[in-house]
Amino acid sequence: MPIAIGLEGSANKLGVGIILHPSSSTPSSPHDSAHSEDEAFTSKPTSPPVQILANLRHTFVSPPGTGFLPKDTAAHHRRWVVRLTKQALKQARIQLEDVDCICYTKGPGMGAPLGAVAIAARTLSQLWDKPLIGVNHCVGHIEMGRAITGAENPVVLYVSGGNTQVIAYSAQRYRIFGEALDIAVGNCLDRFARVLNISNDPAPGYNIEQLAKDGKCLLELPYAVKGMDVSFSGILARVEELARRLTTTTSTNPWLDPDTGLDITKSDLCFTLQETVFAMLVEITERAMAHVGAQQVLIVGGVGCNERLQQMMGIMASERGGSVYATDERFCIDNGIMIAHAGLLAHGKGFETKLEESTFTQRFRTDEVLVNWRD
Amino acid sequence: MEELVTLTLPHLPLHPLFLSLFTNLENASFLRQQLLDGNQEFEYAFLDARMLLSENHVLAACFRALNDWQRGRLRSRNVHSEIVFSLSPNNNIAESFRRFGISDTTTDLLAIKVSTSSEFTAESVRTHLSQHVQADSVLFSDEAIRRGADLARIRKVYKAGGDGGKVNGAAGTGGGAALDGVEGFILGTMALKGS
Amino acid sequence: MPRALSITTHNASLGEAPLTPEWHSRTVASETAAHKMSFTAVPTASNSYQLNDSNEVQPLHSLPPPFTTTSSPGQTSSTKLIRQGAEALLYYTHFLSPSLPCALKYRPPKSYRHPILDKRLTRARILAEARVLVRCKREGVSVPAVLGAGWEEGWIAIEWVNGSTVRDAIFGRKTWRQENQASYEGGEKDLVGLMHKIGCAVGKLHQVGVIHGDLTTSNLMLRPTVSGAEGGEEPSATSAATPFDGTITLIDFGLAAQSSQEEDRAVDLYVLERAFGSTHPEVEHLFPEVLKAYGESYKGAKVVLRKLEDVRMRGRKKSMIG
Repeated sequence: MPIAIGLEGSANKLGVGIILHPSSSTPSSPHDSAHSEDEAFTSKPTSPPVQILANLRHTFVSPPGTGFLPKDTAAHHRRWVVRLTKQALKQARIQLEDVDCICYTKGPGMGAPLGAVAIAARTLSQLWDKPLIGVNHCVGHIEMGRAITGAENPVVLYVSGGNTQVIAYSAQRYRIFGEALDIAVGNCLDRFARVLNISNDPAPGYNIEQLAKDGKCLLELPYAVKGMDVSFSGILARVEELARRLTTTTSTNPWLDPDTGLDITKSDLCFTLQETVFAMLVEITERAMAHVGAQQVLIVGGVGCNERLQQMMGIMASERGGSVYATDERFCIDNGIMIAHAGLLAHGKGFETKLEESTFTQRFRTDEVLVNWRD
Repeated sequence: MEELVTLTLPHLPLHPLFLSLFTNLENASFLRQQLLDGNQEFEYAFLDARMLLSENHVLAACFRALNDWQRGRLRSRNVHSEIVFSLSPNNNIAESFRRFGISDTTTDLLAIKVSTSSEFTAESVRTHLSQHVQADSVLFSDEAIRRGADLARIRKVYKAGGDGGKVNGAAGTGGGAALDGVEGFILGTMALKGS
Repeated sequence: MPRALSITTHNASLGEAPLTPEWHSRTVASETAAHKMSFTAVPTASNSYQLNDSNEVQPLHSLPPPFTTTSSPGQTSSTKLIRQGAEALLYYTHFLSPSLPCALKYRPPKSYRHPILDKRLTRARILAEARVLVRCKREGVSVPAVLGAGWEEGWIAIEWVNGSTVRDAIFGRKTWRQENQASYEGGEKDLVGLMHKIGCAVGKLHQVGVIHGDLTTSNLMLRPTVSGAEGGEEPSATSAATPFDGTITLIDFGLAAQSSQEEDRAVDLYVLERAFGSTHPEVEHLFPEVLKAYGESYKGAKVVLRKLEDVRMRGRKKSMIG
């Protein structure tokens, strides 16, 4: 029964996860007639019951009005990785001998933080004499999402601070159908939060979401969908302008909603931004669905926690006769368990990253990975 | 004998159009005066037929006017004046009347009546026109319109390229109505007006 | 034991503030509306249905006014749904007269969008498409005419183009060759001719400052030319008819934009190149003929071809960081 440790640190979240995959020789037979009829015919051989033995995370939160810098983030990861790993092992109640491999995020992500985690992984690998598995961060999100939700072959919307991609599986690759051409949607949200001094705790996107719930006025932002792709830098520039305007608004210099006569608030800006960028994401996802004829959508990545995004996607999907799958913050937000899971899937097919090759890289496209654990 | 044609636009079946084409018009001033006076007995679209390229050209203006009327967004006084206005590539109502409407010197006239109520029938319109329009009657048809069209002037108003070379790119469809370059461009221009 | 995933999890507890309330992984379920492409039995609230020629029930209510009413008796025109894309519905109907067939493109409201945003977008897209088409028409690019547009309601009526798509023509070539084996001797000359026509048509489009945005062989039509028609090809008494006779007409400008950037033009060509590769791999080797004709079609075209090499190199786009 293979067990893997996964280390994730491509951005400001440090995650350590320990996962168990039942081996294929385990007799949990789907063909056993003692089980109910539908299990025999509807169960999918691709989703064995994985067991999450530990899933720990610690986030480096920067003060409001600032973003997290690579150097400081790497220092944070270095400070916490040993503690988290020890704690994870304790929670999992496993022995060193039980661990089959050490999985770590090879990329994409921020250089210094990735490096800190890679060093930790290599150290563990050498200390315990276990093989290393370098994992693509995006593939980690996708595989975890599939495992948790049971979505068979969905179109995947992967949205986070560093990534915005619409992905569909085909012939052992996660092919990118559409993506952000400049900055990721999460990045756009985070930077907007800074201008308004919105707290980064627990995450800027979360706080924007809460503020947006009180927003009513929809201001005008540029809507940049180009075919299957999207672009956020224009929107960011404009919404930052609006945010700056808000900070200079006073009772003698008011800014009013022309329809209601009420003051424009932070909430209105958050609302405007969310409604616009999420509509763009739903649109390109719909296009991909129409293109490949898919009925399912899986949302992964930190921005995928957002309930409004999930709601909008749900409305779109239902109008097409489809459905949306999403996970909660344990798995949406960067975590170590997804790295362990994806790594173990690859390892099961014989994949291994030699020490000399256990580098990390800021750029690592999702479609570079050979997904040979699927047909 | 007055020639009058009744046409119904697809999708607007409740308001057929009565079209009457005339040539050698003698009382243009009188007819024009009725419009200026707002004489309710003379609610027609009176068009200078030489500014009309084809049947499609006429019908497109009618469709636009009727649809805008139904959607509550007339820009001019009524659906008939709106037909004249719809022909224009821009939003200047007075100019559209000058260019496409009846003037004191108009000799070729297309009269259009929209059936806005059951009061108006082909017969009643025909009768009224024969009583008040002093001209020779011509059967309205695409061919008749094209024959009388002043291409150069039409091109100029729509800025459709005087040399004809540029706009005539598309070949005919080979079957059914063939929309050549100029006609297609004009219909498109009319569709976009006011956007 | 149920086959469902058994997940035992432990949450982080090292001085970390609790995040969002504990959810459990879930499906955001949605009602499955029995959407069938042929619209034979869609459960809807409205009662306005019409039987078309083949006795299929069609919910015309999904179209905006004035298209919601059934045709008047005596008229043979009926409105038929042709295609349902992600963004728009395409109908076949008649416009202005029963003898003028038209393609009616309707962009229905999207309920997931904020209504103000939705209206804004629909309006902008209908107008963009109409403007691009009219501009092309003015400049002599072979495109269908715009017959009417309702940008507040989200529709555009476009001249129906007779003929077949280049896609179907290429697929049909095999059959045609088999049937005409005796008389046809041209080798691949007919295909080369087609490629040249395509290259010229795209060149002309780019030259007037328009990017199609979705160049595939389904969006290229071969419109039969009437002999003697203005702008049509010279019918040759001696050349045999081939499946590629006619004028190349570009359709479906839903993703088109006005641009003269070399990058945009190159991407336009790249999309077409990839379309040939995936749909017509057996004639893909002749695609350079398209580029050859394109390169000669206007000044500045050759620069675009060089840019195309860069675009190919990049694959999709630059990698995201992190």
